[in-house]
Amino acid sequence: MGRLFVVNLEGKIYSCKHCRTHLALCEDIVSKVSFHSRHGKAYLFSKVVNVTMGEKEERMMMTGRHTVVDIFCVGCGSIVGWKYETAHEKAQKYKEGKSVLERFKVSGPDGSSYWANHEVSQHVGGSDADDV
Amino acid sequence: MGGVEDDEPASKRMKLACRELKGNPNDSLLSEPSFGSSRDLMARLLQSEEDEVIGSKGVIKKVEFVQIIAKALYSLGYKKSGAHLEEESGIPLHSSAVNMFMHQILDGNWGESVATLHSIGLKDESTVKSASFLILEQKFFELLDGGKVMDALKTLRTEIAHLCASSNQLRELSSNLVSFSHGASVGSSNQVNLRAKSRPKLLQELQELLPPTIMVPERRLEQLVEQALTLQRDACVFHNSLDREISLYTDHQCGRDQIPSRTLQVGTNGEVSLKHKLSGHHKPVSSVSWSSDDGKLLTCGVEESVRCWDVSSGECLHVYEKSGPGLVSCGWSPDGKSIFSGVNDRSICMWDLDGKEVENWKGQRTLRISDLEITRDGKQIMSIFKETAILLFDREAKSERVIEEDQTITSFSLSRDNRYLLVNLVGPEIHLWNIDGDINLVAKYKGHKRTRFVIKSCFGGSEQAFVASGSEDSQVYIWHRGSEELIGKLSGHSGSVNCVSWNPVNPHMLASASDDGTIRIWGLNSHLQQHKKLQQVHSNGGSMAAAYNGRT
Repeated sequence: MGRLFVVNLEGKIYSCKHCRTHLALCEDIVSKVSFHSRHGKAYLFSKVVNVTMGEKEERMMMTGRHTVVDIFCVGCGSIVGWKYETAHEKAQKYKEGKSVLERFKVSGPDGSSYWANHEVSQHVGGSDADDV
Repeated sequence: MGGVEDDEPASKRMKLACRELKGNPNDSLLSEPSFGSSRDLMARLLQSEEDEVIGSKGVIKKVEFVQIIAKALYSLGYKKSGAHLEEESGIPLHSSAVNMFMHQILDGNWGESVATLHSIGLKDESTVKSASFLILEQKFFELLDGGKVMDALKTLRTEIAHLCASSNQLRELSSNLVSFSHGASVGSSNQVNLRAKSRPKLLQELQELLPPTIMVPERRLEQLVEQALTLQRDACVFHNSLDREISLYTDHQCGRDQIPSRTLQVGTNGEVSLKHKLSGHHKPVSSVSWSSDDGKLLTCGVEESVRCWDVSSGECLHVYEKSGPGLVSCGWSPDGKSIFSGVNDRSICMWDLDGKEVENWKGQRTLRISDLEITRDGKQIMSIFKETAILLFDREAKSERVIEEDQTITSFSLSRDNRYLLVNLVGPEIHLWNIDGDINLVAKYKGHKRTRFVIKSCFGGSEQAFVASGSEDSQVYIWHRGSEELIGKLSGHSGSVNCVSWNPVNPHMLASASDDGTIRIWGLNSHLQQHKKLQQVHSNGGSMAAAYNGRT
């Protein structure tokens, strides 16, 4: 295989659970509480590295319609979350350009993993819910 | 009726016509010096033609055009043709004053030539002064060479002194007087060397000094033609020839046939064959570096060590490593006596061939993923030191320069003339930076695909006029460097093309390496393979880190 181009982060790092590729820094977390995916908690980051993007999709989420792309780890190709390209409602515009990493898919800064919360799996996959 | 026959020479007809017009035999026109008078008349009568323009765009002044042609004829030695053109067109090459001046110089009428200089129409006083100086300096030297020391001294004192630009100049001239008299007293005049240049040479120097409106510069027509040819050549995006054949008959435009577009060979069975398999690294090899004499090869195992191999025997000559940190890149010093290497603790270090660490530049100088380049004078070392910036540091002057990018940098390469840097960005996008003097962005190349891998690009072709890159869509992309135009996409590989290398001595040959596990050699798509000079692929042409994940 060709040589993977990976950016190496410094600090408290969230990395891919499967291949340990660096994905984001703790300091770039925008919100820890407001986002959920099929597998449970998800965090909104202002900056995510070493991911490739899928096709643009329109998704109806709890907070309204958004254009998102799924993001995949460059190292192993597993899906790690999604990125907001466009938010169709003004109140959600702050999410544009930011990415969500599913806690289930990443290893935390202390190397910890997270197990899926089955109660939350009733949501439509990839949805988010904002606490007011 | 004028009573003049139609087959009389034109000049005579014009002269008579003029007399008739003016009517006064004592007219000042007729008392002009006989030399060049007919031409003068013509010039004045044709005053209205001065603004005449020719050519489809109406920007070429007819008078200037004819004059540079006449000048070209004279330069080529066609004196008769030149004179005939002047007469037939009625456009003299030089004004009568200039003609007079030229004759005076060649005849050695120094005083008169200086006087003429003042009436030639020069606006700039300093030019008059410099020209006068040259003329009188000639007079001075000619007098000396003729043995007339007293006259030379008088000239120096009365005529030249006030024209000297500095006292040094005056002193230098004076010293000639001294050495001459000294020489004369010692031996016979035969032994004295001629100091004065030839008069035609003086004329040439004066010509260069005078503005082009007074005297048409030498070879002006040649210069204009060369300019046009250069522009044509630069505009030709497919220009990739070894020969310099450009015809004047039609605008130069190469066809695509000069760009490599056909696979000559897949894998290593063919004219280009596998020479050695170099085993020894335990980690993937990220980069290679050829020594300037192509005799040795450096390879770097990522975060491991750097190995030096002998190219002809395939033997590993030395392993360079540090106890603790791993090495991430490698490069030769141009003199072949030292090895540079980037370290994963961000420093860069230098070893002598035996493996003794000679220098270590600490601080943030390189990243784990970085390339390393060293200029041919051995002074500048370049590496990616931040996600979006490249450091160029001069190890002699101990100064640093930085190229700041707007995106993450994946790799870069240095042009052969060391004046440009080709930077690959995540985009994907390739940026061309000028690093000679002021650092500035010169061009951008787009179109190729990249999402996961380090894709390398390189300069190539005749005069390095092209940029080539790999791409994750399995094609090799080629752009014309100057115009940024994508001129070729080479298909054939069945996996991501990770790097390319253009043969530095054969502009028609390119090599590429792909995730499909093969190396392809690309060449021209011509049936007549006239340039079958490819006997031996120059080693540098194969400089590719083809095995990223393998260990060889």
